[in-house]
Amino acid sequence: MTYSNGSTPPPLLAVDDLSVGFHNREGVVRAVSNVSFEINPGEVLAVVGESGSGKSVTALALMQLHPRNTEITGDVIFDGMDLLSMEDEEMRSIRGRDIAMIFQDPMTAMNPVFSVGDQIVESIVLHSDINKKEAWNKAVDLLASVGVPEPKRRASQYPHEYSGGMRQRAMIAMAIANDPKLLIADEPTTALDVTVQAQVMEVLYEVQEQTGSAMMLITHDLGLVAGAADRVQVMYASRLMETGGVDDVFYRSRNPYTRALLDSIPDLETVKETLNSIPGNPPSLAHPPPGCAFAPRCSMAIPDCAEGVPDLVALDEPGHASRCIRTADIEVAVEATV
Amino acid sequence: MTDTPDRDDTDRNSIDLGADASPFDSGAVSTLEVGEPLLRVRNLVKEFPIRAGVFRRQVGSVKAVSDVSFNLFPDETLGVVGESGCGKSTLGRSLLRLIEPTSGTVTFGDEDVTLAGRRRLQQLRSDLQMVFQDPYASLNPRLPIRDIVGEPMRIHGVSRKEAKERVGDLLNRVGLLAEHGNRYPHEFSGGQRQRIGIARSLALRPKVIVLDEPVSALDVSIQAQVLNLLDELQDEFDLSYIFIAHDLSVVRHTSDRIAVMYLGRLAEVTDRTTLYDEPAHPYTQSLLSAVPVADPKRERERKRIILQGDVPSPANPPKGCRFHPRCPVAKDKCSVETPELTEITPGHYVSCHYPLIAGETLLDRTRTLGRNVDIAHH
Repeated sequence: MTYSNGSTPPPLLAVDDLSVGFHNREGVVRAVSNVSFEINPGEVLAVVGESGSGKSVTALALMQLHPRNTEITGDVIFDGMDLLSMEDEEMRSIRGRDIAMIFQDPMTAMNPVFSVGDQIVESIVLHSDINKKEAWNKAVDLLASVGVPEPKRRASQYPHEYSGGMRQRAMIAMAIANDPKLLIADEPTTALDVTVQAQVMEVLYEVQEQTGSAMMLITHDLGLVAGAADRVQVMYASRLMETGGVDDVFYRSRNPYTRALLDSIPDLETVKETLNSIPGNPPSLAHPPPGCAFAPRCSMAIPDCAEGVPDLVALDEPGHASRCIRTADIEVAVEATV
Repeated sequence: MTDTPDRDDTDRNSIDLGADASPFDSGAVSTLEVGEPLLRVRNLVKEFPIRAGVFRRQVGSVKAVSDVSFNLFPDETLGVVGESGCGKSTLGRSLLRLIEPTSGTVTFGDEDVTLAGRRRLQQLRSDLQMVFQDPYASLNPRLPIRDIVGEPMRIHGVSRKEAKERVGDLLNRVGLLAEHGNRYPHEFSGGQRQRIGIARSLALRPKVIVLDEPVSALDVSIQAQVLNLLDELQDEFDLSYIFIAHDLSVVRHTSDRIAVMYLGRLAEVTDRTTLYDEPAHPYTQSLLSAVPVADPKRERERKRIILQGDVPSPANPPKGCRFHPRCPVAKDKCSVETPELTEITPGHYVSCHYPLIAGETLLDRTRTLGRNVDIAHH
């Protein structure tokens, strides 16, 4: 874990003021609003949030994989290149080579009529000059490196012949085929059982360590975040609510939403009498409430919260910021309870 | 129900289980097993036929639930955990005969549910209810909420006027408004739909509710609301729950006692504290160790045991102990002999030839045996 050691190398990915809107009959639904963040080389950034918070849409927009009726504004600079202004052709040469994506459901992300080996070969040949035979051998090596047993035989099998965990390993093999600088993993283990999840996460860590690539891990599972992330970014109703080092967010959170979220999950090691649930439901993105989107459900809300969207304000710890007008009061509450 | 179960008819009318039928009849009880069991499940088996060829001949069977026995006590929550395909949902449905069990008995009070005829089964279902996982698939999209919640009452002959009143009360009780009764399911969010499903299950004032993954389709903030609601309702209506889930943290939170299933069999049954503090089955320990905890420091310190391989297919389960191919501490006997569920301390049942003793970890055991085990080194 290396981050914020004073001398900051240029970030691998710099996202500035990214907004994504979908057009529909009623107007524009803003799925991502004014999101800015950076990912440094080799670090793991976890993006957490509930369904509809905008975490997956952010990733799809970075990869330019969004549907056509989408309006994107802002800047996305990856390794010195402006991704949003790129032509399709250029973007295609980056996708799968410099930035690779691992999806939640490998059954739908893979092509059912090609063997797993062929699909890995395709992604290798597309981005390099080596011939198919060499690429096949490399594919077999890759499958071996992610722990697929009997990789030679398994390479010529089809996705449906793989179990869920094996398929996800194959996806990881495909993603790292061209030594990407950034891996985007969107709920990579959500479809898997917990013992298989542990296997796959271990493979991801190993791969990430070996290749030195950075990772953007999108998940709703705070347990996974606690074990994997260097930095965390919490999203709610299309906006960043809090961002910071993993310990800052888990132990020194200054945001009512993050705190409520952490309080509402049952813990494996200690039993709470009742869970501190968050009342109500997340707002509709088509008709967001005025001001802070969390205010209607927030136990700390005051009338001013509805007066305008609060800024993301930097806190004492480097890289730690929270979007809440009562951030100062939360700080006092923390110190009072310690 | 169109499928006719090929059941063993020899002791159809007998609920006398005999002296050695199950460890649960031994008489020894832990502090949590209080009073007479409300529901006694003995040697429950469900096998689904696999058919192939032109004549759809049976070529094998999926052994979804094999020889499962347990008790459910009044006012308690029994958690059933396991990974996908372990048979936990099939078990839940077989209890209510939404799926006909292949053999075994389910005794409610002093009546064998598996023997009940259609008419009687319908009556029994007023005491035994179910809440399903998917709140989108389990509510009829063409019916207004009041009809969905009121339907069980209509079937059981409650007058229209009374039903209307009770539906309003139920909706209020689960945190919705009585006037929501006129709306249709699509107008509600996932969490609200699950509340509607819960209101429907309460309509006939049941004694037992089987909850099949009731919160796994919900976001965490909504999940907590529903879990708290279930907790309140249990106290208010004196309910016993069978809480089926794959999420160990949720099960630990809600359950008094927990049954761990692996590939159709019970691996371990005990109270939640013992299960988490002194898990005796190697599978339980590895399962617990695989669950990520939302605490970065603890995550960094934890030694996570990584099990090899996937869960085998229940169509062709391994011989002997079904867990032995993945078990890091299995011995020769494990691949030959099927371990019975045995009571190792009062109220703590384990099906393992070599259960871990209190305080012993799976890592200790692998060291004693001189075995290697994969540990997450992240």
